[in-house]
Amino acid sequence: MPFALSRRAALALPAALAVPVVRAQAPVTITVHYAQPFIFKESYDAIAEAFAKREPNIRIEWLTTPNYEEGMQLILRQAATNQLPDLSYQGFNRLRLFAERGIAQDLLPLLRAEGDPAALGYTPGILALAHFGGFQSGLAYAASNPITYYNADLVRRAGGDPDAMPTDWAGHIRLAARIKALGDGNEGMFFRWSGDDWMFSALLFGHGGRMLTKDERDIAFAGREGLESLRLIDAMVKQGGMANLSTQAAQQAFAAGKLGLFYWTTAVVRGTIQQVGSNFALRTGPMPVIDAAKGRLPTGGAAGMLTARDPAKRDAAWKFLRFSTSAEGTALMVQNTGYVPMNQIAIDDPRFLGAFYRDNPLYTAAVRQVPISIPWYAFPGANSVRVTQTMVDNIARVVEQRATPDQVLPDMAAEVRRLLPRRA
Amino acid sequence: MSLALGTAARPRLSAGAMEALAGWALMLPATIAFLAMLLLPTLATVLLAFTDYELGAAAPAWIGLANFADMLTDRGLRTSARNTLAYVGIVAPASVLGGLGLALLVEAGARGRAFFRAVFFLPVVSLSVAMASAWQYLLHPTIGPLNAELRALGLPTPFWLSSSDTVLLSLAAIGIWENIGFTMVLFMAGLTAIPRELYAAAAVDGARGAWDRFRLVTWPLLGPTTLFVVVISLVRALRVFDTVAVLTQGGPNKASEVLLWTMYQEGFTYLRLGYSAAITLVFLVVVLALMALQTRVLDRRVHYG
Repeated sequence: MPFALSRRAALALPAALAVPVVRAQAPVTITVHYAQPFIFKESYDAIAEAFAKREPNIRIEWLTTPNYEEGMQLILRQAATNQLPDLSYQGFNRLRLFAERGIAQDLLPLLRAEGDPAALGYTPGILALAHFGGFQSGLAYAASNPITYYNADLVRRAGGDPDAMPTDWAGHIRLAARIKALGDGNEGMFFRWSGDDWMFSALLFGHGGRMLTKDERDIAFAGREGLESLRLIDAMVKQGGMANLSTQAAQQAFAAGKLGLFYWTTAVVRGTIQQVGSNFALRTGPMPVIDAAKGRLPTGGAAGMLTARDPAKRDAAWKFLRFSTSAEGTALMVQNTGYVPMNQIAIDDPRFLGAFYRDNPLYTAAVRQVPISIPWYAFPGANSVRVTQTMVDNIARVVEQRATPDQVLPDMAAEVRRLLPRRA
Repeated sequence: MSLALGTAARPRLSAGAMEALAGWALMLPATIAFLAMLLLPTLATVLLAFTDYELGAAAPAWIGLANFADMLTDRGLRTSARNTLAYVGIVAPASVLGGLGLALLVEAGARGRAFFRAVFFLPVVSLSVAMASAWQYLLHPTIGPLNAELRALGLPTPFWLSSSDTVLLSLAAIGIWENIGFTMVLFMAGLTAIPRELYAAAAVDGARGAWDRFRLVTWPLLGPTTLFVVVISLVRALRVFDTVAVLTQGGPNKASEVLLWTMYQEGFTYLRLGYSAAITLVFLVVVLALMALQTRVLDRRVHYG
């Protein structure tokens, strides 16, 4: 017996030695791209540091673009010249374009190889956020939803209660009118309708509406939900006194304490805290509720998409993508941005973020809205970005009071319909 | 060895050929740079303009004049062309006349000539993107100094950069501010080139007062300068992009959409590089035509050699 054991051990020894030799790959360098370093840099640095301890043989070279748009251009250019990075984090609404142009790869087989995705924290809802073009084109890294930022001092001066804010739009609009009535250049509210269709979809989804029909053959926003959404914007202007500000102007006015209520993404929570400093008491809250049962909110943010072709690099890039979206990576991301965690384990297990949210209550408004958040709708076809601009241009007519919601909605519907892919 | 080669080679080339060779060698770097950085990209753009190339899509197809036909019916492009014309129509004359006025004033002043020249020229050398941020603050509807003044005076406070009524005017004002120092310096150079004796001669011939001097001597002799300034102002105004990109992104509802911004949007946001190249080509033709036409037509009438 002792002999047999030692002999077996002797036989196993080379095998045991060989395993780490085989598994410890030669050092690999991967190129990882992400956008908006002013928001994300600290989170990626923290994750890369933790990752380096686990995978010392994987070196990362970073590539950044100031915004998602330039990030998209970069990847499309690199794809044309065969110089793609190995991993790229892109805005959710751009993923569809990469999926349709054959640049993104299906991640589900890789995920399945590691076991049940849900057990790893990737619930169906989380996977759906980066499911475009009919396959799992990315893994959600950071998610945001729209929240209310408010200036508690102005709310109080206007006779409101910062601890018991109105929960519906009618209440918010009345409060905004009272803040504007304080005079002295104070503005009541700003709903960030410009730039893209994201905030408009917050109103549309809030009514339980949707952009296109289920089969994506025709628009679905031209009905009651779309009309009510435009009427809400109209009411913000007419009754809430919403001024026609640019996004930057609104942010500056808010930070200067001259704007009462500001509705935009939770992604800017960290930046807003820094800008406001001690100018006034900053609070955050959920979006006003439109339809408590059917109402939903859009999800913004970024997802990692795998673009590596070389097997060794692809393997290494996948490992980083997995780590960055694991419970541990997600917790690091949350603490270094203003985004919502995208791994169910990190959400459920208080070990990861419990203490952080206790100490930083301004970050919790968005987390509480996660249950009603659905994917940011990306339009199909080559004109997807132009559709977004068309909607924004039409909403501008309502904000500038050049046309009524009843006039704008049919125009918007007709113009968007022309831009949808023609199918037999 | 090399010496031997050198002496052996020399007799075969005449002095003139050597000089020509040296000339070509000296021109080579600039020629390569011109070819690689200007001519070849321009030719590539011309070719792209006749394709349906989209960034990231399959190989481009030759579609002939379809892009140009599209341009004729593109409502966005028409708005953009109209806005650009309006912008040029405000900025170019204002910076030519304003620059002339400033040049005359500064030139007439006894002291502080260098100071005023520097003050008015400063906007030309400053980075327009950085300056746009400063303008954004100045014109900020609620916390900006301009509207604070207006509010104090009890006047209406427009949303300078976010209302479609005022956005183009605000951008034009920034454009004038950027260009006026440039035209001023050009006019000042033109003014110093006018011989003093002509003013004396005009006085002898009975020219009285500043207006006569300007009308009879300064203005005619500034002809070549004025022609140059007019053309350069038109082209500079036509090229407006930075302020639009930083301040308004063409909004609201295309009220500040200008040609170069449309070209950028089409090519890099909507990814239609072929169409974008077609717009670029038209833009290039307009600029070249402008320069050719102005020089040809006006050259005869303003030349006092």
